[in-house]
Amino acid sequence: MTFLEKYKDEISDILSRYPVMRSALIPLLYVAQRDQGYVTESAMQEIAHLLRLTPPQVYETITFYTMFNLKPVGKFHIQVCKSLMCALVGSDTVIEWIKTKLGIGPGELTTDGLFSLSVVECLAACGTGPMMQINEDYYEQLTESKLDRILTDLRSTGTSPLKSGPFMWPEPVKT
Amino acid sequence: MTTPTAQTVRIMIDGMTVHVPKGTLVIEAARRVGVMIPHFCYHPKLKPDANCRMCLVEIEKVPKLQTACSTPVDEGMNVRTATTVVNDAHKSVLEFILANHPLDCPVCDQGGKCDLQDFSHQYTATSRFTETKRVFQKEYFSPLIETQMNRCVQCLRCVRYCDEVMDVKALAPVGRGTMTEIKHFGFHPLDCEFCGGCVQICPVGAITSRLSMYEYRPWMLKRAETICGYCGDGCQMTVQTKEQELIEVNSAHGAGRNNGDLCARGFFGFHAASHPQRLTHPLIRRHGALVQVTWEEALEYVADRVNEIKAAHGGPSFGGLISGRCTNEELYLFQKFLRMAIGTNHIDSSARYGHVNGLQAMQLVQGTHRWTVTFDDILDADVLILVGTNITETNPITGLKVKEAVKKRQATLITIESLEPVVDTMSNIANLSHHHFRIPTSDTHHAIVGLVKAVLEQNLTQPDLAQRHPTYVNAMTSALQQISWQNLQAATGIEPDAFERAAKAAAGARRVVIVAGQLLLRSEQGYSGCLTLLDLLLLTGKLDAPGCGFAPLAEENNDQGAIEMGTVTELLPGAQPITNDTERERIAKQWKGELPTDKGASLIEMLERARAGSLKAMFIVGENPVGSLPAAIHAEASLRNLDLLVCQELFLTETAALAHVVLPAASSLEKHGTFTNTEGHVQAVRPAIEPVGDSRPDWEIFSALSILLNSPMEYAESKEILKEIRSLIPGYSSLGPTPLPPKVDHSAVDRYLTDGYQRDLASRYHPISRASRPDGTVRLELAQSLFHSGKLSTRSKGLLQVEGSGRLRISPSDAARFALSDGDRVRLSSTSGEMTTEVKIMERVPQGTAWFPSHFGQAAVQLFECAIDPITHVPSFRTATVSMMKVA
Amino acid sequence: MPKHELILLKNMMQPGYTGSLTDYEKTGGYQALRNTLGKIAPADVTAIVRKSGLRGRGGAGFPTGVKWGFLPKDYQGPRYLCCNADESEPGTFKDRQLMERDPHQVLEGIVLACYAIGSETAYIYIRGEMVLGSKILEQAIGEARVAGYIGKNILGSGINVDVWVHRGAGAYICGEETALLESLEGKRGLPRIKPPFPATHGLYNKPTVVNNVETLANLPHIITRGPEWFAAIGSPPKSTGTRVFCVSGHVKRPGNYEVPMGMTVRELVYEYAGGMRSDKPLKAFIPGGASAPFLTPAHLDVKLDFEHVAAAGSMLGSGGVTVMEEGTSMVWAALRLMEFFYHESCGKCSPCREGSSWLVQTMRRIFAKRGRMEDLETLLDLCKNIAGRTVCAFGDAEVAPIQSTMKHWRQEYVDLINEAEAANLIRPEPVARR
Repeated sequence: MTFLEKYKDEISDILSRYPVMRSALIPLLYVAQRDQGYVTESAMQEIAHLLRLTPPQVYETITFYTMFNLKPVGKFHIQVCKSLMCALVGSDTVIEWIKTKLGIGPGELTTDGLFSLSVVECLAACGTGPMMQINEDYYEQLTESKLDRILTDLRSTGTSPLKSGPFMWPEPVKT
Repeated sequence: MTTPTAQTVRIMIDGMTVHVPKGTLVIEAARRVGVMIPHFCYHPKLKPDANCRMCLVEIEKVPKLQTACSTPVDEGMNVRTATTVVNDAHKSVLEFILANHPLDCPVCDQGGKCDLQDFSHQYTATSRFTETKRVFQKEYFSPLIETQMNRCVQCLRCVRYCDEVMDVKALAPVGRGTMTEIKHFGFHPLDCEFCGGCVQICPVGAITSRLSMYEYRPWMLKRAETICGYCGDGCQMTVQTKEQELIEVNSAHGAGRNNGDLCARGFFGFHAASHPQRLTHPLIRRHGALVQVTWEEALEYVADRVNEIKAAHGGPSFGGLISGRCTNEELYLFQKFLRMAIGTNHIDSSARYGHVNGLQAMQLVQGTHRWTVTFDDILDADVLILVGTNITETNPITGLKVKEAVKKRQATLITIESLEPVVDTMSNIANLSHHHFRIPTSDTHHAIVGLVKAVLEQNLTQPDLAQRHPTYVNAMTSALQQISWQNLQAATGIEPDAFERAAKAAAGARRVVIVAGQLLLRSEQGYSGCLTLLDLLLLTGKLDAPGCGFAPLAEENNDQGAIEMGTVTELLPGAQPITNDTERERIAKQWKGELPTDKGASLIEMLERARAGSLKAMFIVGENPVGSLPAAIHAEASLRNLDLLVCQELFLTETAALAHVVLPAASSLEKHGTFTNTEGHVQAVRPAIEPVGDSRPDWEIFSALSILLNSPMEYAESKEILKEIRSLIPGYSSLGPTPLPPKVDHSAVDRYLTDGYQRDLASRYHPISRASRPDGTVRLELAQSLFHSGKLSTRSKGLLQVEGSGRLRISPSDAARFALSDGDRVRLSSTSGEMTTEVKIMERVPQGTAWFPSHFGQAAVQLFECAIDPITHVPSFRTATVSMMKVA
Repeated sequence: MPKHELILLKNMMQPGYTGSLTDYEKTGGYQALRNTLGKIAPADVTAIVRKSGLRGRGGAGFPTGVKWGFLPKDYQGPRYLCCNADESEPGTFKDRQLMERDPHQVLEGIVLACYAIGSETAYIYIRGEMVLGSKILEQAIGEARVAGYIGKNILGSGINVDVWVHRGAGAYICGEETALLESLEGKRGLPRIKPPFPATHGLYNKPTVVNNVETLANLPHIITRGPEWFAAIGSPPKSTGTRVFCVSGHVKRPGNYEVPMGMTVRELVYEYAGGMRSDKPLKAFIPGGASAPFLTPAHLDVKLDFEHVAAAGSMLGSGGVTVMEEGTSMVWAALRLMEFFYHESCGKCSPCREGSSWLVQTMRRIFAKRGRMEDLETLLDLCKNIAGRTVCAFGDAEVAPIQSTMKHWRQEYVDLINEAEAANLIRPEPVARR
């Protein structure tokens, strides 16, 4: 089954939101990435065909944005923020911890394919740094023990209760 | 302000006052007063992008420097382009661009013609940059186009040209920031139209031609401005040579009717002339084999044989066939030679393959032998109707005018084409169409009829016409009434309201241009189709309205010239009918002789007579009937029957291989002359190299032969022939920059509207009988490929790298039906012949249709039958129903 | 310990507030919409917003009512509203809180804005990383649709407004309004040449307004309580209303604090954010996100509003206040921000593209103790050649860290260079290789 056939309903819903087809490109690329963990060339070609674009037009768009993977990444893709505000509160140390605990540096993948690491720019969590994003979830106010707990949780259950919910910081003072 | 120039604006540039139209960009206004503002990303053909920041200028009362390329002028604006601040800004931008630019000048082909070098020199830029330059891995991009991304200055001119002008969108800026590079798709090599536009427009050496890589420095080259010989568009090109070696072709921006744009054929196809198998010496057949002889021997032999045959059988036992690739001078001299020195009216040219259809229709209806419009009218049109053109592959530069009209000037496009509107690696005119009628080539006429019917039945007929020529309108109305909409819909698959909408759009517009292409012109309904299209223009009152007209596209570069020089049997020079006694007398008087009186035979008739034995000798110049015509014509048998066959050729074609004498001719890159393009515009051809080997321009050969035949036609240079042409044909050939189209001849129109239309009204407008196509068959169409032209281009090493062999293009649905994948082999067979070939699946091919490029091999043409138009004698052999079967 | 009334953060601070439609309506939510649609003329809504003095909360601070007024009056075709939720300015995290904790406040603002400008379609362009935020918004939109606050014939007024969430995919530059429009159109997020402006040629070349999340969240309150009420808060007439400042860095209690405009930095940092995290005193701070020039302890009493911060040589920007303690290397801080700008430069125009690469390499060298004294002049000269010469404000932003740290802490640069010269190590360091 082709990519377009597999996600037929979702794709037609996405297309209905825009008066000009090309606007659906980024949402469709997300669907393709969800499917395989990264965006394959054939998915790009199918999307190009659907949106009446040439494959180079899809390719130029996808390579502009950092969140699209053109190659497979780990099952858990760790993205640590390294911007100044997180760096002021120790993001470099977080990267060191990951290097020690998982043995990978930025751009690398663990041998079991579970974890990959990249360092990214500001994730809009500067008041709760140091922090990281793993796949879709934020993990803020990291300490070493928290990090250990998160990695263990991910390995065993695939998710962790330490992930951030709807953001508010500081929390209201309880009276 | 009620002055006539209310739309102009007065500004000051560097102290000089200038008045320019409102909306002019500052950079363009500056150019008008001779101020060149430096720039990289600006180009007149492209939307301003203002990304290089090189063109920053000071504008009074504006605090920040502004980019001249994106700022339109304002009344009273005061611009300064040469202050210290501006100079420093230019220098700083140069410094930034040079920061990551490699010191490649010694190995970069752009050296000597590089904008970055020139500006660096002008601003004596130095760079303080001591960090590390970014590096891209060099990748193979394509066989003809090379990229070296380290040099890229990210002006995006290549990307924008490929998108805005060509509508191909093959180039993509990939990545972000300094790591942006221009690629195609992933790691795939470039797949596009190879028009060379990106190579021409790149201001630095990031995109260069692989064909001439490392071969030269610009100052070593000689340049010749000439006209391309690959199609009727007549593009001006600059051929660059190093001594006798052809190095490169490009076209200066703004040059010629093509405005500096070229296609793959023009840009990369020039090596055909220097192919090693060029004929370099005359050949005579002795004891069954062709042996090399001297010119004296060859010409004297020909003269002797001519005299013998003429004495025995008379002048009319000779015939002549010449290619529309030759210059006007050569075409003119050929028909004069045959008519005066030989004494025969049996003359024809490649114009017979289709161009004559358009010509005869125009002569009948509007009394002209040329377009009444030009490329500029195409650009200015409100509605364009393209019929059977596949214009982006056949006449790409006219195609660029259509693209510009639609994309930049909001013209409405109506297309009747055998194309699916899909996006793939080449541009597709159906994608830009507002009213697309997808129709197989053989049914094109039905679609035109549908438009005419819609015009009549929706009262879109010009009221004035109905008053002045009621018989015509009534006859048309009742003829079209006999064809029901159901009949049309069954025949075309198109619904009536599609025709109605298109007809409304055309009738309601002010400037309507109809462009007819070779798929119509070379079909069985070529002549009828043109007449019906002219009926469409007449009914809507557009035929003689300003900015409106009928534009049949010429296939060969000088098919129009062949018509005008009288190199078709029914015409005299000036495209005058040979039956016109006044003209005959006038011309005979100027030529100081007698014109032969008997009715001439056209191409097919000549071959029939040759086979029958009544035609004894032929001169064939640049044509290859054996290779081009289907088996049913028996061209080979016919020619073998001749007592004398003299061929003037560049290469030893199938026809030349049968000849008694083969004379080596010079290509269009090796001689002076003129070509008349499809608009009717005469343009100068100039030599870039000396004739290869011992070859001679065709006109010199005719001239020499005429002397030996005691009917001397001597000319010191081809310019003298042109002078004679001009003295013979009144008002002929302005060699100015733009064509001067003739006006519609109202007396001709009146004659048509009174009597002329009656002759074939019934044969054009009649109910359509529909035979269903049997299972296991497809409609095969022999078509022109973008990358080739006739058989000459298959000698070009550049073009062969893009398309080296013929493959059958089929639709994905037919591929599924016949269980075929890309690259599979199939056998095609018809009642006339069979052929095996490889398939290429292309979505733009409509279901039930298959295309084969006509340039590769004899095999394909054998599948076709040949139908001869009873009026124009045009042979058509471009469509056939064939059965298709997968083979191992 | 808010000592004044919270407006935007009020609901979410209530214990048990979930941000659901029911909760929002309980606090009086969507009343502004009820009282406006079909009851106040769209042009009058614009007049109200203009009178309130509301200025854009994204960073540029353009008066919102004036921006709305730029749309063509007689134009008949579609208009668009884009909610800029691409919050990527380092130091800023207020929009995230507003969207995730009180989405309906933002949605009500969006529908009000659409009504005022005559738009029937709004797109919330939310940065791709905020997956939770986009889910929360989609759910809230679903609730609002069911309740009839979004969609066709809203509350029987005959007004149609559709709101869609559109995720970005990781590009800071897409927070620039024209780059946002390009990205929404499915292309690379390169800023457009201005003029023409989005008000006349925006999304799909139609009249468009791009507003920040916080700007839109203010609208229900301005409508309900009146523009005069809003204009009296903060530093009228030029900087009215509250701002949600995002305090980060070396403070005890970093986070979002909604305070009236015009509060001093000192009060915000020491009263609200608890002061410095250790006994190290404050060395430097940035008042408005990474694009704002650094300021010194001498500027602690600067009022946090548009005019005063500008007069002090910086900008209020996105409201991201980052505090740095003694011991922080200013060269390191400037380098860290320069890395950000180098990574995020879109690459369209030469000065920013080449300049950011050049600046970051030189800064790396200086910080790695491989600098030269000439580098300092080169840095400043390059900054001068970039600012004001680029297609968008990114060029002006990227030179702010280096220019301001050189201005106030030049000695730190000099010290590093002296160390380099002492060690006699001068070798350039490679940049990204593909």
